Amino acid sequence: MAMIVHTQQVTFDQELRLQSGATLRPVTLAYETYGTLNENRSNAILICHALSGDAHVAGQHSLHDRKPGWWDDAVGPGKAFDTDRYFVICSNVIGGCSGSTGPSSINPETGRPYGLSFPVVTVADMVEAQSWLLDALDIPSLLCTTGGSMGGMQALQWAVSYPNRVRSALVLASTARTSAQTIALNEVPRQAIYADPNWNEGEYYGKEPPNAGLAVARMIGHITYLSEMSMREKFGRRLQERERYGYDFATEFEVESYLKYHGNRFTARFDANSFLYITKAIDYFDLSLGRGDLADAFTDVKAKFLVLSYSSDWLYPPEQSEELVRALLRNGIDASYVEIKSDYGHDAFLLEVERLAELTRDFLAKVERETSGASGSAEDLTASHEAREEKVYPLASWAAKTRGEWRLADVRKRETA
Amino acid sequence: MNSSRPDLEIIVHMVPASARVLDLGCGDGRLLAELVANRNVQGRGVEMDEANVRACMSKGLSVRHGNIEEGLKDFPDGMFDVVILSQTVAYLNRPLGVMQEMARVGRSAIISFENAGHWKARWRAVCGCGSGNTLASGQPRVRSITFSQFQEALQQLNLQVEERVFLRGPGRVSRWPSLWAEAAVFRVAKA
Repeated sequence: MAMIVHTQQVTFDQELRLQSGATLRPVTLAYETYGTLNENRSNAILICHALSGDAHVAGQHSLHDRKPGWWDDAVGPGKAFDTDRYFVICSNVIGGCSGSTGPSSINPETGRPYGLSFPVVTVADMVEAQSWLLDALDIPSLLCTTGGSMGGMQALQWAVSYPNRVRSALVLASTARTSAQTIALNEVPRQAIYADPNWNEGEYYGKEPPNAGLAVARMIGHITYLSEMSMREKFGRRLQERERYGYDFATEFEVESYLKYHGNRFTARFDANSFLYITKAIDYFDLSLGRGDLADAFTDVKAKFLVLSYSSDWLYPPEQSEELVRALLRNGIDASYVEIKSDYGHDAFLLEVERLAELTRDFLAKVERETSGASGSAEDLTASHEAREEKVYPLASWAAKTRGEWRLADVRKRETA
Repeated sequence: MNSSRPDLEIIVHMVPASARVLDLGCGDGRLLAELVANRNVQGRGVEMDEANVRACMSKGLSVRHGNIEEGLKDFPDGMFDVVILSQTVAYLNRPLGVMQEMARVGRSAIISFENAGHWKARWRAVCGCGSGNTLASGQPRVRSITFSQFQEALQQLNLQVEERVFLRGPGRVSRWPSLWAEAAVFRVAKA
């Protein structure tokens, strides 16, 4: 049965202070919700989307929709994020182009679309805006924040920015700091957009948009989402609508046709300037910024973590998840990590839903069991040292204390003498 | 608890209630789950096999998928009360390095292993049928460990024995353990 959902919008006529120092006002967020918020308002899960996603994570807007939401395999009744049990929220990021304020929105000061006058936003800014949405929905804390890729960055940022509002974070195919390789793979698509004469420094609204540049940008993206193995399996050297080589420059290999199709289709739904802004936000993501060590970013974090990586993901390779997990564990945070063996590359986080469902169910059940009641009550390894000493080694800690008292008594004796 | 692994029962008794426990090579998590259920410990595991990690998750445990030998260095000194290595030491590339790290991140380390000096193993070696696994067993390279070798290693690492139990089947062995015991459980700590 199709789940029919509607995108909603909320506008905040207040100033959002951005990480760059700039401000944004007003801020509109597009969002969708699924399932029912329970009486304690404690079953909310925030799903954060990746670069090209939107608020429409699951279900259909109408029965005539050709495709459901971008993570429909994982979100719905009985699925990984079970909407019979949980209240699922997904909102379009600021800087986006699917209903939330972004470069294609009208700048109230000029009455025209922002274009490049839109301030640069970061992952932390996206999360800040989402926190306003939670306030508006009157949700004090989240059972879980989750997402893959840039969605995983937001989930992480949530746990760091709002330690008391997040009981758990499920981070998929992501990183705590964007690597040089990923920045490079964001810069080349941006260059493709800049090089399109229609881009015109971002001033193309109402005119012909830079679709050629945006299509190339998307093609590069699609290459980074697959793996060598999945490309070989999916396309091999097969030709499209041809029996033999044409010795010309027509689209003849299946892989070419695939990239072209997805590149062109993307231009129908995505704004080139939003692509620039969102990839920039990814590039800026670095939780160790201004800190000596990545682990220092997590000293106040209370959430439980499940970090998943995928063996053939070369955009956010497992080593980057492992770096994150090490930093979490060094803080005594309750974190689990699984590297899922998959040939699907970065796309695996969207496709390997069976193992995701199993792990998510187990993880959420644990989070519910161990953090029921107030948020941030997570048991952790960093409980007061003295309290633990007494509990685990009652004799030894008694002995240590009495020894201390004796010594103190000695000192007093000497002092009074 | 599984009767084929009597060492696990001994380990459960060696772990103080409410302790912070790290189980290296925790497999499907049965020991950790037992410790959580009966000793109320705060348990963490490290496991190399993905299916095993998922089995641990299904028991509600917190597990890190990865290699024991790489993972220990990230933990600060004394982060755990007990670090467990049950029937895994024979599979490690650098067992001494791991044992040293265990004693660093834990107040005490519990290590169980099969006795390669057991009379049956010695007999197999003498009669020429080999002391380790056969070609057909499909086991990875496994180290043979005898009690005297283990004691030597402890000395070398400056670790002292706090408790040790020698096992033959589910029962304990007190006389001639190096010949009669099939397995042993040692609880050790920095001297």
